[in-house]
Amino acid sequence: MKHKLLVFALLIAICLSKLPLENSLTATLRRQKLLDTGLDLSMRESLGQMGFAASLGGLRSLIASISYLQSYTAFENLDWGTVDSLMTLTTRLQPTEPTYWEEASWHMAYNAASNYLNNNELRAAIRNKLFRDHVNRGISILDEGLRYLPDNPRLLMKLGDIYRDRKPDPKLAAEAYLNAYDHGAKSFYERMGAYELVKLNDRTSWEKAYAILKRYYDSGARYASIMRDLPILEAKLEIPVEKRVPVPTKAP
Amino acid sequence: MTESITTQKYKAFSVIRIWTLAANTVTQLLRMRILAFLTVFSLIAIAAGFSFPTMSPEQQLKLLKDVSFGSLQIFSIVIAIAATSILIPKDLEDRTLYTILSKPVPRYEYLIGKLLGVLLLIGGGLLIMDLILSAVIWIKQSLIITGQIAALKQEQSATPENVAAIKMIIGKYGLTWGVHAGVFAVFLKASVIAALSLLISSFASSTLFTIVVAFAFTIIGHGQQLLRDWFLHDTLSSGFGKIISGLVVIICPDLKLFDVVDKVITGEIISAVTLASMGGMATLYIVGYTATAYLFFVDKEL
Repeated sequence: MKHKLLVFALLIAICLSKLPLENSLTATLRRQKLLDTGLDLSMRESLGQMGFAASLGGLRSLIASISYLQSYTAFENLDWGTVDSLMTLTTRLQPTEPTYWEEASWHMAYNAASNYLNNNELRAAIRNKLFRDHVNRGISILDEGLRYLPDNPRLLMKLGDIYRDRKPDPKLAAEAYLNAYDHGAKSFYERMGAYELVKLNDRTSWEKAYAILKRYYDSGARYASIMRDLPILEAKLEIPVEKRVPVPTKAP
Repeated sequence: MTESITTQKYKAFSVIRIWTLAANTVTQLLRMRILAFLTVFSLIAIAAGFSFPTMSPEQQLKLLKDVSFGSLQIFSIVIAIAATSILIPKDLEDRTLYTILSKPVPRYEYLIGKLLGVLLLIGGGLLIMDLILSAVIWIKQSLIITGQIAALKQEQSATPENVAAIKMIIGKYGLTWGVHAGVFAVFLKASVIAALSLLISSFASSTLFTIVVAFAFTIIGHGQQLLRDWFLHDTLSSGFGKIISGLVVIICPDLKLFDVVDKVITGEIISAVTLASMGGMATLYIVGYTATAYLFFVDKEL
């Protein structure tokens, strides 16, 4: 009896000491972004009983990798619906892993969209609609990823690529590229942003593009794109001739 | 005279006795060929390391770590539960328990020795697996970096800036100190589960019961955080629900506190202070469960 009372007293003591410590450590780990938020219970259907239990049991990353591999198989079979749902599952399991968002959007905006566009069995109007739908899906995936990783340069770079190549919108492309550069992307992406700004029809954008490209020119960069766009901007901004960059003369 | 010397020399708590029991437990478990899993693990790590070459470099490394850490976790949890569950019944069956306890060995020393033996086995196994995993990651990482630099050279864009960028991106997913910190976190989780299994085993009537209940608690322990939030913050639930969740929160450890592996895989850094806090929390669980196990075991009719 004495020992049973001791067991009870010990359990109370453990509870009193462990609860605040557990809460404090959980808060610390969440603050350091080492602990993910809880799993959305609505994912249970997609994961199945075993997958759900496994992902709760510390194997979340492994389950994400398995669903990623399954999506790869679906990609090889050109089964775009399955690719989308499996990549959605993967990104939900590990929302702070940028490569999953990047790849999910690439599958939709590039692979699926192009596959539909080149499918001659479909009518032209349907092909174009499916192309647009999948490009938009790719953009929405990146937008969702950017809610979890707002400053991630990889996602911003990919968003800029889509707005440049798949759904041309120079303003949004420039915004994404310059944002990527501001958050650690290589200097190449600042120039990409400037090249997109050149395509716009407002003076502010041209001035911004000119300032960027001129800075690179002054630091010695002579890339073909800079040499192509600087004269265009100088003409648009009516830069005095003596301040313009010398145009290379063609060899006779 | 001799009797008085013997009485004087006897200590109520002896580290040497505990160590002897722990070493004996390790030998006992090794004879059961528990570490055969190491071979299986090596094969899994090598297979995961050199499969799927068409994936992006980061994904190849991530997959290698995912599969390997998954195996590490399964190994450690299964061994923690199974090894701890069979120890007391096996000693009873072999009648070793009577031989040990007929000597001046207190029951708490017996329990601590047994638990320490299991922890040594798990720790040793994880250390070997950590070395194997580190070697495979390093080889894989080096091969990927070499391949990427060769590709850059072929495209005539192997500038120092690009090479450094490749090394940085791939290095983040490759071998870092975080990998070892992740293995340590796995060990802490397994230690807590072993202590919990020892507690269940101290009052259970069969090995099967201990294994099933310990597995159930392990699964619930991973969701304890949800229950704790509900128990502490939810104001709408019924009283009965609150009592049940409160009991689970009291008994169950929060195993999610040791789930930093997901972040380790993607190259996040875990500070020494955080690791020490996790170690402290694990120690609290282990001491609490072992002390409770002793209180059950001391009354047990053998």
